[in-house]
Amino acid sequence: MSDIEKIRKERKRWEDEELAPRLKKFNLEKPVTSFSTPADLPEHDFLGKVGFPGEYPFTAGNASVEFWKANGRIAALFGFRPDWGGTRGVGKYGGFGTAEDYRDYLIRMHSMGRTGGPNMAFDLATQCGYDSDSEEAAGEVGRVGVAIDSFRDFAVIYEPYTGKIDIDKQPSNFTINAPCVVILAMYYVLAKKRGIDPKLLHGTPQNDILKEFIARGTYIYPPRQSLRLFKDSLVFMRANMPKFNVNSIGGYHIREAGATRIQDLAFSFANAAAYLSAGVDAGLDINDFAPMFTYNAFGGSMEIYQEIAFHRASRRMYARLLKETFGAVNPKAMIIRQPVSAHIGCSSTTLQRPLNNWIRAVVGGVAAGMTGAIPAAFPPWDEPLGLGHSQEATQMQFDATRILMYETGLTDVQDPWAGSYFMESLTDRIEAEALAEMARIDGMGGAVAAIESGYMQRAVAKSAYEKQKRVEAQEDLVVGVNCFNGPLEQDVRINTAVEPTYDPARMATAEERQVAKLKALKRGRDNKAVASLLNTLKDHAKDEGKNLMPDICDCVENDCTLQEICDVMREVFGVYSPVKL
Amino acid sequence: MSEDRKIRVLIAKPGLDGHERGARIIAYGLRDAGFEVIYTGLRQTPAEIARAAVQEDVDLVGLSILSGAHLSLTRKVLDRLSEMNASDIPVIVGGVVPPEDAETLASMGVAGVFTAGTPVSAVADFIRAQIAKKTD
Repeated sequence: MSDIEKIRKERKRWEDEELAPRLKKFNLEKPVTSFSTPADLPEHDFLGKVGFPGEYPFTAGNASVEFWKANGRIAALFGFRPDWGGTRGVGKYGGFGTAEDYRDYLIRMHSMGRTGGPNMAFDLATQCGYDSDSEEAAGEVGRVGVAIDSFRDFAVIYEPYTGKIDIDKQPSNFTINAPCVVILAMYYVLAKKRGIDPKLLHGTPQNDILKEFIARGTYIYPPRQSLRLFKDSLVFMRANMPKFNVNSIGGYHIREAGATRIQDLAFSFANAAAYLSAGVDAGLDINDFAPMFTYNAFGGSMEIYQEIAFHRASRRMYARLLKETFGAVNPKAMIIRQPVSAHIGCSSTTLQRPLNNWIRAVVGGVAAGMTGAIPAAFPPWDEPLGLGHSQEATQMQFDATRILMYETGLTDVQDPWAGSYFMESLTDRIEAEALAEMARIDGMGGAVAAIESGYMQRAVAKSAYEKQKRVEAQEDLVVGVNCFNGPLEQDVRINTAVEPTYDPARMATAEERQVAKLKALKRGRDNKAVASLLNTLKDHAKDEGKNLMPDICDCVENDCTLQEICDVMREVFGVYSPVKL
Repeated sequence: MSEDRKIRVLIAKPGLDGHERGARIIAYGLRDAGFEVIYTGLRQTPAEIARAAVQEDVDLVGLSILSGAHLSLTRKVLDRLSEMNASDIPVIVGGVVPPEDAETLASMGVAGVFTAGTPVSAVADFIRAQIAKKTD
């Protein structure tokens, strides 16, 4: 009898003699816990499935020594704060009001030594391709980010970035998708005007339009035409801005919209495959451009074991996708570059007794540490209050992360779960289920087709509703929400007294000031040139073989507005109309 | 209102905010609770929402707003409804709404404000009570 058979036989005996009587005693229909044995992992191939950190298939981690681990001690001694940015780093994600308002905020940050590059949030009008004077923009201007109508706005933000922090030295992040081509063109033109070689520019645009149809919702054109714009941006960046990351693919948004873990993995990778194919179809070398793809963290949950297995599975799946499906040979093309890994996801936070979110975030930080990433205790506890993170909550977030990093030894071991019967079999199971879902999407014709038919959108909406039903039925328990919410529980609060990040007075007048600026721009520019450039863009948009980036750069340089450029493409490409759910 | 007519609710997303999870859950949940639900989808203008409410002859309008623009957008929807002589249609708001803004919304005439963690069943009960009050 083999060892595995022996264990199976012993397990049967244990279930009958030990487990069954206990279940009977407690009147349980099935076990409330699980226990794994080597029989759950009968043919585990360590080298094939796990391997060494920094080597294919990267299950055990992206690198044998991570940058942040190598520099962890120095960071502690110098008191490094990630929200301040630093040399070749961006500052905290933000943006509000007009370009002048955001510029002044950045100047204030710089005066405090916080010289990270701009990590830009754009207002919803900009994200959806509308100018501040449009009907659609009313009430939205400068609210969830900075308003950008033209190159002149964009250039204002960069006024304080000169000398030691000029744009050839500091990176920029742009959280923009549908009009990403316009913002990239603005950055390219800015470099040209400053006499800086665009080849030196670095940074990251979100540029992940496909997930906007599944979650987040800032789409403009139909999926197919959107992917064409992605391709144009990719080809342009590889030729002209080779140090600039191509995109930041977000499984995070999809899970926050309600997707299950399996849907999150399958849909994100199906989207990634569509972007990778676009590059290959355009004649680019996968080994050259795939290393410039980045990920903006997959989604998260409070289920710590599941999240650890999820990240192990994701690394292996991606490496295999690149190697086996796309034929990559460069190991750099096979790794998921992401700033954070496991975390709880903002949707795990509760408005009820919000300070408890600090504890929740720490659980996510522990999971992150065990997947080989910075044990980031994200998000700050006041996330669900919707007021922007307070300085106090941000401090508590960083300190929780630091305590995990420096006091617990959490990150001293690489892939501490490797070889665990339980974790390895869970990793295999998640991978198998996600691969099956990806195959299903492939069968539909890939991500674009699965979005066009509404398959992905419906699947996510349904999962969100199933989750809600489980919470309402008290199948899933959430402390303070559907249990332990009686009158004897105490609602613990702390004072948050530090000044808010943004000036509310400026926010209130942003729309008026922005519209006035736009009026002046339209009066003062060469409107003949504008009309002619937009016409050329329109002609070229009809020809799929034409890369539109050079035309968009010309438009931007000659003061065409963001909406004017987007409107021309709306005319040619049409606009996306969402499927009925 | 006749006995057999289902309560008709319009769930709407005004403005450009794309956070749709809450609106979808409410739409599905109210449908399962026996309501007739019309969901507008994203990016509706206040005028479009008011027009849909009148045309569809709904008993109540639910606005879902997570962009922080809830005060101005709700004000506009109420104004458009009033211009169409439809101020009698109660409006409720769901989303990320700080407590002081919930008070402001109430003073504008919003019937109820629902934030994160509210069960759909509580929203359904609230709507039934509102409609009962109206028909009394």
